[in-house]
Amino acid sequence: MIKRSFIGLTEPRLRCDLVEPGPKEPEAIPIPPRIILLLNEHLDSTKELLIKKGDTVKKGERIFLYKDSNQYVSAPASGTIKLIAPFTGDFGSLATYLVVETNSKQDIDNSFAERASTPDIEIANSYLRGIAGEPPLKLLAESLSGAKSGAININKIVISGIDDDILCTTRQYVLTRFRDELPKAIELLGQLTGIKDISIAMPEALATLSAFNGMNIVKVSSDYVSSLSPMLMDKYLGISFIPGKTCEELGVCFISVEAALALLKAYTEKMPVYEKIITIIDKNGKKSRVCATIGTPIHRIFSQLGVETAEKDRIIIGGPLRGVATYTLYHPVTPDMDTVIVQDSSQIPMVSDYPCINCGKCVRICPANLPVNVLVRYLEATLYQDASDSCDLLSCVECGLCSYVCSASIPIFQYIRLGKYELMKIESEDVEMEAHNG
Amino acid sequence: MVKQNKFTVSHAPFWHDGDSIKAMNINIMAALLPATLFGIVQFGMPALGVICLSIASAMAWEALFSFISKRPIIIHDYNAAVIGMVFGMMLPATIPWWVVIIGTFVSVIVGQQIFGGIGSNPFNPAVIGIAITSLSWKSLFDFDSALVNYQFDFTALDPLGALKHQGPQIVDMFSLSSLLMGGQVGAIGSIFGLGIILGGIYLIIRGYIRWEISVAYVAGIILTAWIFNITDPSKYASPMFHLFTGYTLLGAFFLATETSSSPVNLIPMLIYGAMGGFMTILIRNIGVYPDGTIYAILLINLINPLIDKIRPKAFGKCKRSKQCVK
Repeated sequence: MIKRSFIGLTEPRLRCDLVEPGPKEPEAIPIPPRIILLLNEHLDSTKELLIKKGDTVKKGERIFLYKDSNQYVSAPASGTIKLIAPFTGDFGSLATYLVVETNSKQDIDNSFAERASTPDIEIANSYLRGIAGEPPLKLLAESLSGAKSGAININKIVISGIDDDILCTTRQYVLTRFRDELPKAIELLGQLTGIKDISIAMPEALATLSAFNGMNIVKVSSDYVSSLSPMLMDKYLGISFIPGKTCEELGVCFISVEAALALLKAYTEKMPVYEKIITIIDKNGKKSRVCATIGTPIHRIFSQLGVETAEKDRIIIGGPLRGVATYTLYHPVTPDMDTVIVQDSSQIPMVSDYPCINCGKCVRICPANLPVNVLVRYLEATLYQDASDSCDLLSCVECGLCSYVCSASIPIFQYIRLGKYELMKIESEDVEMEAHNG
Repeated sequence: MVKQNKFTVSHAPFWHDGDSIKAMNINIMAALLPATLFGIVQFGMPALGVICLSIASAMAWEALFSFISKRPIIIHDYNAAVIGMVFGMMLPATIPWWVVIIGTFVSVIVGQQIFGGIGSNPFNPAVIGIAITSLSWKSLFDFDSALVNYQFDFTALDPLGALKHQGPQIVDMFSLSSLLMGGQVGAIGSIFGLGIILGGIYLIIRGYIRWEISVAYVAGIILTAWIFNITDPSKYASPMFHLFTGYTLLGAFFLATETSSSPVNLIPMLIYGAMGGFMTILIRNIGVYPDGTIYAILLINLINPLIDKIRPKAFGKCKRSKQCVK
């Protein structure tokens, strides 16, 4: 944990870690006896399930919950479904998790292979959504087909070789390790989407590598906040950020470098890719990289690497400033999981219920120039609309630095996320009301 | 089956820079120590008594009020201790004990707790305390009569009082270096200018006070006093005399910079500080009070919420209207 320096005249500058020179090959984690899959659709007892316990699935087979589902999860290994249960995520989002007992002999579902001869975004969207890196295929397909015309119109793709938190290096590793395959991946993305404007964002320090010559490179400073997508878009792509709109709504689609390479591999090998590269950081800060099948419970990785966890430790998925904590070692490897950090219980800073004392540190560090000291007062009083109107709540880029420096240890970042979520809920209710009345 | 541990689950960020209100307050008290110790050496045991009673009673009032209002008792963050210490430093060494107790009551309870406690006070609590007590018992705050029994080896006159009553010809009786080194009659913690400056610079370097306010305040004092001085040197004292006397330095580094009653954006901080210095000199030179620092601080506390609305555009809010795409 980076602490405040003795001299506090200027705000602390956090820098993103660079991938270490000459990184070791990731350690392969064998397919575990049970894998856990998360399906982004909630269990609805009024509808008839398409799957049941005891069903067998093949590797690559897509699992739908209901007949009219448009969400699916594809099985990274063949086996038998042992459990179907509801799962509650952040802000009460409902999903379903499936436990699949894998069998030693891998049966392979060939439906993608039959359709993989020419790259087509619809086919990719129907088969490859859950591959390593989680490419935003649904978004791209919708944008291209104009299904919701005018809603999203992507005209720029940025392959992201930068990690969006300070300790994470997975994407940089993938970028440097597989840099020779990048031109082909870019070509494939072009064929899939028809979008010509494809660039690669990478840390300045890596951009000097000769392999990247001739590519459309966006050199990003290693200052922590520059790597966040809205900042990156505004600062390096010359597209002004508009509060309340996502980068995708402004026409820029970010796709992780791992996802781009997984797409390439899926088309060359005619098989979706389910091996995800993850950086594991143990309590002492030692980094190791593994290659695990999606759905592997993280305790498998920990036991193979000898990473120890104890009561009251914290397991962080993602980075120290923007990640999420999980309560269980059975949390599966998900397609977008880049980093797992174990934090010792003695290292966990406490939050407090102190009021803001107006010390101004958050205002100084805020990259989006928010009046955080006033904002937090509105948010504490649950005045979300006022927070948005007079304190620019929607300009927040969610870097987490305000909570990091807060003298009073107020969970400002969480207040902000909650505020945005509640605001979104209010707005969608308004839209529904209007539709209902009009 | 792996034995399932219970893990700590919370929201991001998972790091903290380790700073706390307690650390901030301990640093402020440490920065106040040189000036306070000098005052104790200068005025002896009575001064020590006043400072100790002030800190202790401020903490006691806060604890008592928290208890009555059923709020958590947060005495361990030294917030009340800082208020008590600053209040004590602004008192003459011979002040009766009951004024100290009443003063800390006014500071902590009237100045802060009734507004909602730490972080909610619109004014600097210690300044509220000193303003009300000094208006109520004016004679006790007359430094000349309060310290009449002391023998000093420097001009035993309250510089600002003498300036008010006898005009700027008395300025020659005080040498600037003697004023800076504590050779003056005044409150326990306000006489040792060098100590206050060192303490203030320490806090600025540690980042616990905002340098913009202190610098703007000092600049406001010097500039305003200088303008007065060049217009009529026979009526108005020099800028440096104003800077090293009375509560000026205490105001610049410790009173105006109190966190919850001061602005946080750059331009407002500069306006706030400069206004403070300007008002101080205005009250001293034109008003009826010998030292205007207290009222100047209260005035700038008052305009703080208004001027702190001047702030940079938030990320993504268009700088020019034609860039606006809606």
